[in-house]
Amino acid sequence: MSELLDLERAPAPSHEMREEIRRISHGVRARRIAVSRAMIALCGVALLVAAVPLLLLVYQLLKRGIPVLTWKFFTTLPSTPTLIAPNATGGVSNAVVGTLALTLYASIMAIPVGVLGGVYLAENNSRLATSLRVIAQTMAGAPSILMGLFAFSLIVRDLHVGFSALAGSFALAVLMLPVIAISTELAVRGVPATLREAGLALGAKPQTVSLRIVLPAAVTGIVTGCILAISRAVGETAPVLLTIAGGFTNSWQLLHPVSALPLSIFENAKSEWPSQRAQVWGIALVLVAFVFVLSLGARIWASRKQKAGK
Amino acid sequence: MDQIAADIVRDEEVVTGETPVTTSRSWYHYLLIAVAVLFTAVSAAFVGTILWSALPILLHHPGELLTGRGWNAPTGPFGGLAMITGTLETSLLALVIAVIIGLGTAIAIVFLIPRRLRNIVATLVELLAAVPSIVYGLWGLLVLAPFMENTVDPWLNSWPLARVIFGNPGQEFGTSLLLAAMVLGVMILPTFVAISREVISVVPQDLIEASLSLGATRWQVIREVVLPTARIGLFGATFLALARATGETVAVALIAGGVANVQFHLLYPGTSIAAWIALEFGEAQGNEIAALMALGVLLMLISFGLSLVSRALVTRQRKAMSIV
Repeated sequence: MSELLDLERAPAPSHEMREEIRRISHGVRARRIAVSRAMIALCGVALLVAAVPLLLLVYQLLKRGIPVLTWKFFTTLPSTPTLIAPNATGGVSNAVVGTLALTLYASIMAIPVGVLGGVYLAENNSRLATSLRVIAQTMAGAPSILMGLFAFSLIVRDLHVGFSALAGSFALAVLMLPVIAISTELAVRGVPATLREAGLALGAKPQTVSLRIVLPAAVTGIVTGCILAISRAVGETAPVLLTIAGGFTNSWQLLHPVSALPLSIFENAKSEWPSQRAQVWGIALVLVAFVFVLSLGARIWASRKQKAGK
Repeated sequence: MDQIAADIVRDEEVVTGETPVTTSRSWYHYLLIAVAVLFTAVSAAFVGTILWSALPILLHHPGELLTGRGWNAPTGPFGGLAMITGTLETSLLALVIAVIIGLGTAIAIVFLIPRRLRNIVATLVELLAAVPSIVYGLWGLLVLAPFMENTVDPWLNSWPLARVIFGNPGQEFGTSLLLAAMVLGVMILPTFVAISREVISVVPQDLIEASLSLGATRWQVIREVVLPTARIGLFGATFLALARATGETVAVALIAGGVANVQFHLLYPGTSIAAWIALEFGEAQGNEIAALMALGVLLMLISFGLSLVSRALVTRQRKAMSIV
């Protein structure tokens, strides 16, 4: 009681006391701000540390890759350098053709199944759909070398097809399939329910609603997903390493061995000929440019479409 | 990349989707079911074929595969311990590198970079995540390995303490487990940054503003509000980065040295499960193919396990959110 009275009648804090309080609170505040600034600066440093190796990679890719790119590089077949002609590396036309062929065949196999599978996932909540969703997500995260092991066992060995474009594109198709299905499901689920309901209310059959209303509305997302899946498949080395046996001709044939850009990087990177090691940078640059054009193009196209839609 | 990030961010929408539309029995209905069955069959064949091919080793020498030390090419025994330890060493070290640098980078992109530049930087990061891994492997082999051999390795070996940790091969190899871990770290960095940037940037703005208005500094907001809110998404990003590191094949095959020795000194050459499959498969015959397939089964178990754990985390987070 008396304490309370004391407090009530407490004299105003002296000048020194007020100064003391101000000093301490200033100190606390200053320390908090200093810590904050230091940590944010540290994050900025992390950004720089992350940027340096990645920029270095792009810089070296351009510096060493561009001089290699000539017309002959794209149009002639590779040749092995010899002691007499140590710079006779030839071109990589077989790998360019092989990559195009593999990508084409893989897309033909994966896109229809992937897109329809995605539509199925989006329109059903059955037990099959639930387990298929889990399967697709698990497959999408599986290491790509496993696709190579699968295609080797099934196509090359058990079906006696041998090392071929078919085996390679099958491996890439298995890789693309879950990616396409997942992105298609997201795109189809993004279509407003009112659109479907309007169609059904007009008396359209469910498949008419799905094919004529929902799919056209979701087409931007579906196409973007397919292009991103293709751009991932183009650069994959491990699946083709076990399945296509690096053919040395320009071959579009399904049952023949073909080559591929990532495969020729893998095989020539350890070459004892400096000319072949130099040429590898050109192949890598072409590959990266291809992937960048595909994914940037898909992104820009999708955002244009989205703006136009709004 | 995009799908993965979208998956983590928008996972909730997937679950609360539309009601089924195709309920009537039309040709379209059957087509969709046929495709779904085909999809399931391909996935089953994927697991089944690899398991079947690995059976000779899985049935007769399972212990040897997990604990054996030597890989004796045509006849066996085929020991996988070196590949297992190599995979663990390279991918865990790579993960540490990528998470420490990547978390800072993601925070810096969201909170430090001016709004106008932010989209450009985010797109750049996603493009870098799309660079094929063989290109990172090439860069590691032709640029970094000589640099390691001539500069970094001798420097590390001049320190007594570093020599104890990293080992002293006597000669410098250039290609080593350390180099593989570093390149893997750089390679999974864009993946990690792309997802965690997205996860961090969807933290509700009113939470941030509320704590700022209470007098929190920017760092306090990040530490006390942003990171805890984004926690599960960040875990998801970490698991995806780890999955990418453990499954990485050709880059590690080029730069880890390709030697099947159980090695805890990181300056020595080594190998990983996936890289070993890629390196040995060309020459493999008979039983060795089965042994490599068995390594593939191991890799599949690791990958499926990681994706199971990350999905369980996301589900738990969603339940916790719905209670709140």
